[in-house]
Amino acid sequence: MPFKDLRQFIETLKTTGDCLEVNREVDWDQEIGAIGRRVCERSGPALLFNRIKDYPEGFRIFSGSLCTYRRVAIALDLPADAAVREIFAEYDRRNQHPVKPVVVKDGPCKENILLGDDADLHQLPAPLVHSGDGGRYIGTWSLTVCKDPDSDWTNWGMYRFMVYNRRHITGQPRLNSQLGMILHQKYIPKKKPMPMALVIGAEPITSLVASASYRKGVSEADYAGALRQQPVELVKCETSDLLVPATAEIVIEGEVLPDQVGEEGPFGEFPGYRTEGINMGVTCRIKAITYRNSPILSMIALGVPPDANSVATPIASSLAVRDHLRRHGAPVLHAYSPPHGVLHTIFISVKPGGRDTANKILDGLTLRRSDWSKVIMVDEDVDVFDIGQVLHAFSVKCHPIRGIYAREVEPGKAHCLTPCYSPEERRDLRGAIVLFDCTWPPEWSSFRDIPPKNSFDGIYSEEIKKKVLENWAEYGLKV
Amino acid sequence: MVRAKKEYQVYVPSIQEGLPEGREIVLTVKDLTPGRRKYDNKVVKAIVSRSADSLPDSDVLRVRSWMGVLYPDPWAIRIIEEVGELIPGVPHGETLLRQKG
Repeated sequence: MPFKDLRQFIETLKTTGDCLEVNREVDWDQEIGAIGRRVCERSGPALLFNRIKDYPEGFRIFSGSLCTYRRVAIALDLPADAAVREIFAEYDRRNQHPVKPVVVKDGPCKENILLGDDADLHQLPAPLVHSGDGGRYIGTWSLTVCKDPDSDWTNWGMYRFMVYNRRHITGQPRLNSQLGMILHQKYIPKKKPMPMALVIGAEPITSLVASASYRKGVSEADYAGALRQQPVELVKCETSDLLVPATAEIVIEGEVLPDQVGEEGPFGEFPGYRTEGINMGVTCRIKAITYRNSPILSMIALGVPPDANSVATPIASSLAVRDHLRRHGAPVLHAYSPPHGVLHTIFISVKPGGRDTANKILDGLTLRRSDWSKVIMVDEDVDVFDIGQVLHAFSVKCHPIRGIYAREVEPGKAHCLTPCYSPEERRDLRGAIVLFDCTWPPEWSSFRDIPPKNSFDGIYSEEIKKKVLENWAEYGLKV
Repeated sequence: MVRAKKEYQVYVPSIQEGLPEGREIVLTVKDLTPGRRKYDNKVVKAIVSRSADSLPDSDVLRVRSWMGVLYPDPWAIRIIEEVGELIPGVPHGETLLRQKG
């Protein structure tokens, strides 16, 4: 059964030992962020902070929603100890069957409604997540809703937003993000403000889908329904026609201004460094805030892996890469970006491997945006979900000269947050991508050129393997 | 009675570029007064100086680099007036300008 809201998920995590309530008063100014960050780095539980300095009882913060594969499995209603490969397979299976959302007349997110001048962002306990961040980030693990005015397409995205002042938030949806595209193609040329809603504390799968890369024109709500195996319930905003998850904890309604901007950033980001500096951000003027009684503000203390962004977000991204490359003719079997790859490094298994496949992969990954900067390509006998196997293949099968394919990425396509890029490269969105070919060249003969793999499966006859496996328990072995 | 000094914070691409001393400049500062409104942004016309002694009736200005690294020595700021909440501009204006080249 899917979780109907974040609260039900939190209650389940408490029973499984995956969430701890902190009842000591904590400060929204860096303390909560520091606690959340340290717990992430120690793969600790999710945290529900029940007493926040400067805020009345009832206002709470939840940190670390999907920072472990255990919590992702629970969110998907899988056994908590499901293997990573199983989580990916189940996500992939459900993702094939979109389920349209249903629109309801009312929802818990409307228990409190503040309109106009009454809508003051300071009433919400937005944290200053890291020392030196440019502001209090109210949107870190949240979803942003906007709509293409000329079609049915409603876009969800996960973009950071900070409190600029009582009635403005500023954020960094990138220029080439889907929100950026809708804003610059449909609203700015007409000098019209764009309606937007920032949804905080949605049920965990709904939030996760917002971070996924679906194609332009695809409404993420359909895929949240797919993963939940039940439609998402949506309710209309108070000040626009946008639809938002009805059981969300907090909804901030506003409009993106086409001709005024405010400073945004810097913010310690998902690659594990604060790479991007202050910018003139996408600026949203608030028109309403609606929230549940005793609202829970969901946040992520982004940083070095693991955290929700490095654990959960790559599931959809890896599957999207696999499907995208297959559509472009690359013979991809599996794709996986492990948490410590922070959406910069991806492992891809192929059949066959070699130069042609490597070039097809690089062509595919540099077509629109090129967020990935390192690809490790392996043969089908290497399990991409086993980092040890991938590292072994990289160590012995990647030729230091012939096996490395590097390309520059044209301006406008690279990632602005990649730490190894110079500040100038990050500002111009210039960069590079490298593929390490850890496959046997397709022209190599299996008799003369390809060394037999010195493993149980690779080097023993079928007869001896069968004998050993049949007698395994009799040898006294339990491994 | 001596007025209690307020504290503000500013982010600059470089000291030379962002904080010319001794003349009126327009900058966005964050108010560091404790409480819920801490870190609120204001666009102000102000004069700044490395030395509080050379800027009477000034407040404290904490200076951070573009990526948020705190410079060790605080500056001084005298705010002449607040000039607005936001500034004219297009979202992603800096990126668009660079792309035009």
